[in-house]
Amino acid sequence: MLTINLFNGLVYGALLIVMCSGLALIYGLRRVVNFAHGSLYMLGAYIGYSIASHSNFWVALLAASAVMALLGVLLDRYGFRLLQDRDPLSVVLVTFGLLLILEDFVQTVWGKSNLSMPVPAALNLSVDLLGTPVPAYRIAVIGVGTLVALGLSLWLRYSKIGLFVRAASTDPTTTAMQGVNTDALSAGVVALGTALAGLAGVVAAPFLSLSPSMSSDVIIDSFVVVVVGGLGSLAGAFIAAMVLGMVQSLGAVYIPDLSAVLPFVIMVAILIWKPAGFAGSRT
Amino acid sequence: MSIQRLGLGTLAALGGGAVLAGAVSSGTVLSLLTQAIIYAVFAIGVGVLLRQNGMVSFGHALFFGSSGYAVGLILQLKLMPAEVALPLVLLGLVVSAFLMGLVIVRVPGVAFGMLTLAIGQMFYLTASRSRGLTGGADGMNIEWPSTLFGLSTATLLKPANFFMISWGTLVLVMLLLSLLLRSRFGAITEAVRDNEERARFIGIQTLLPRAAIYALSACVTGLAGLLSALNTGFVSPENLHWSLSGVALMMVVVGGYKALWGPALGAVVYFLAKDILGDFANHWMAIFGVALITVIVFSPTGIAGALERLVKGKKASPAGAKPAGH
Amino acid sequence: MSEFVLQADDVAIHYGGVKAVDGVSLTLKRGEIRGLIGPNGAGKSTVIDAITGRVPLTRGQVRLLGEDVTALGPTARRMKGLSRSFQRTSIFGQMPVRKQIELASYKMGVADSGADADAVLQELDLLPMAHVIAEDLGYGEQRRLDLALALVGRPSVLLLDEPMAGLSVKESMDLAKHLKALTSRWSVSVLLVEHDMDVVFGISDVVTVFELGRVIASGEPAAVRADPRVREAYLGSTA
Repeated sequence: MLTINLFNGLVYGALLIVMCSGLALIYGLRRVVNFAHGSLYMLGAYIGYSIASHSNFWVALLAASAVMALLGVLLDRYGFRLLQDRDPLSVVLVTFGLLLILEDFVQTVWGKSNLSMPVPAALNLSVDLLGTPVPAYRIAVIGVGTLVALGLSLWLRYSKIGLFVRAASTDPTTTAMQGVNTDALSAGVVALGTALAGLAGVVAAPFLSLSPSMSSDVIIDSFVVVVVGGLGSLAGAFIAAMVLGMVQSLGAVYIPDLSAVLPFVIMVAILIWKPAGFAGSRT
Repeated sequence: MSIQRLGLGTLAALGGGAVLAGAVSSGTVLSLLTQAIIYAVFAIGVGVLLRQNGMVSFGHALFFGSSGYAVGLILQLKLMPAEVALPLVLLGLVVSAFLMGLVIVRVPGVAFGMLTLAIGQMFYLTASRSRGLTGGADGMNIEWPSTLFGLSTATLLKPANFFMISWGTLVLVMLLLSLLLRSRFGAITEAVRDNEERARFIGIQTLLPRAAIYALSACVTGLAGLLSALNTGFVSPENLHWSLSGVALMMVVVGGYKALWGPALGAVVYFLAKDILGDFANHWMAIFGVALITVIVFSPTGIAGALERLVKGKKASPAGAKPAGH
Repeated sequence: MSEFVLQADDVAIHYGGVKAVDGVSLTLKRGEIRGLIGPNGAGKSTVIDAITGRVPLTRGQVRLLGEDVTALGPTARRMKGLSRSFQRTSIFGQMPVRKQIELASYKMGVADSGADADAVLQELDLLPMAHVIAEDLGYGEQRRLDLALALVGRPSVLLLDEPMAGLSVKESMDLAKHLKALTSRWSVSVLLVEHDMDVVFGISDVVTVFELGRVIASGEPAAVRADPRVREAYLGSTA
């Protein structure tokens, strides 16, 4: 029993990693907390659903992520770039406005009732994990999370573009003066961030089901992860995501009535100790 | 505005409200106005936090809904008479918010906003899930007694009367806030808002004033929640939902946060817009999203800010508008 | 001991491997103006941060009016009369000028904060803009406001971090003259960090020269100016 709950915790944690790394990337480069990130996740899921109903899951996965990436480019070019001299709170409120627009859009196009997306055939089987049968799909989700975490870390650490990204995150002016096209870089990173949100959405769809509340469900947890992990810190986000995934999963089973309050308790405990989160925030 | 003008303004506002209550015969219209007033008080609470602390709360519905739930639970469990419950709930709210504030106002910048969103939503989820205690997603009825403060509850809740009660509350809240914020306390919180480090350098302890403002804003919003509980006799998790917080925030931004009355203006705009929207009202979220973005981009201080700029522009003459030495 | 209003003994601030300030000792007598000069990155601002308690000391001691204040934070030191201005103007942007100065005075515990505020405004020629919102002031006026906030409550010691930064030659000289007159009238002892050599050598009673976190020379302006080490490190042989 415990195995499956821990396992589910890992699954949700992996999903949060994919979501929150997008959030952290966008913040790192544009200093914007994208309040619409959960809505982008939801939009990605719904777009994936529509594509999948005409072809298959794998096409949907790629296509939805691509669409979200494109949206990210537009968001950066016509949103974040134009507002980059404004105070952070103003930009956040704009993303909040975007959240409202996206929520409405999704409900208008796909309706308010829950939709379900079938698990892709290739992964629709049970695997034996330490004596307990678990859906192979969920193992794949953990795989995706791991890949994203590793991939991003390695990319940022060792690639040239990764270097530019880290430089631009720390000091955009100097980086631009060195000849790096920071506008293109920002567009690229934001696109990556929104693509990750969309990817998370499509990945989540088969096992979490689609509903208009899925954005708020996940954005709260994402915010807890990012605040606890420290704004802008990828590593902090990874750790916090895993912890939160575990807490949510175990809490839902063992203390269902109080499970909603658990993340709050953890948050408060950590914030009393370190108000800027684990890894601290980059101002 | 001098104290005398404030006093006169208050009396005029109260008088004006009474005239309106008498003149409008339609109970429906008065009820609608009452709702707008309740939202205005809610928004003013959110606005105070932004104005004095420079902090944006995405989760103030927490205080709006929990005051209703608290009163509802107290009356359901018959713990004390309603007359005692009302001020006690408000007091409890202020104290809890202050304690909470001591922890969360230390969280810098936007992270604070994220935190308030998360906290608010957590309470929403808890209320939705605890069927036994709070009626879960269906909400709970509030068993108001037949008399309140010696007066018949039914009479108090008549549209014209309750309109006056709500309006009076709004006017008094504005008066009290105006007085408080022009006091030494107001100046201290503004200094902390503008430049926390320098504030510390001139001897200001920066945590307590900010927590106090948070508690104050919670109190005002909680008051709106109590009015709502009286008005509808009902409270549900929707009163705690982030979308409600978002609507209040939107009123503050669109109306303007620098003026104390800005959020109230935002509430009026919201209700007018909803009325005008008619068929499109189903898409209110998208429309308000667009409104929010438009205001932020073109007039960050909202409608109130734009109005004030207009007035200032007319007052300032071409000669001598700038101080010497610039 | 008590002849010095301010005394820093062997103060050091190390950030990891970087020795921003390494064993600095300096003193300030009552009513004295001590100039602090040195190349960029020499550690001058850090020394001010250290003395005011804005950054913790790795080593050393700070004594204010004979009392050891090393363990105290900036607020406590301010209350005891150790004040500073900021290189990057640090004022309350949305408050009117007089209101913020009066608030600062009030928080310092001055009985008649209004009169104190008016006196400071008068000294720094800010009375005409008493009711202007700080962010609407010109740059020079904002610099003076930053100074005004440091002057309420008649501090014993005033640490000035590049007060002339960004001012024109005329504005700098005016402010320098103002400061000299004001600090002598009010018996404020001053530690002045500045790049403008004319100002520093113009109004300082004594000058200390910094390089790479250490003091390399200290004494009367003329002597320091002539010191070959100083000329080599900083002033250049044409000075």
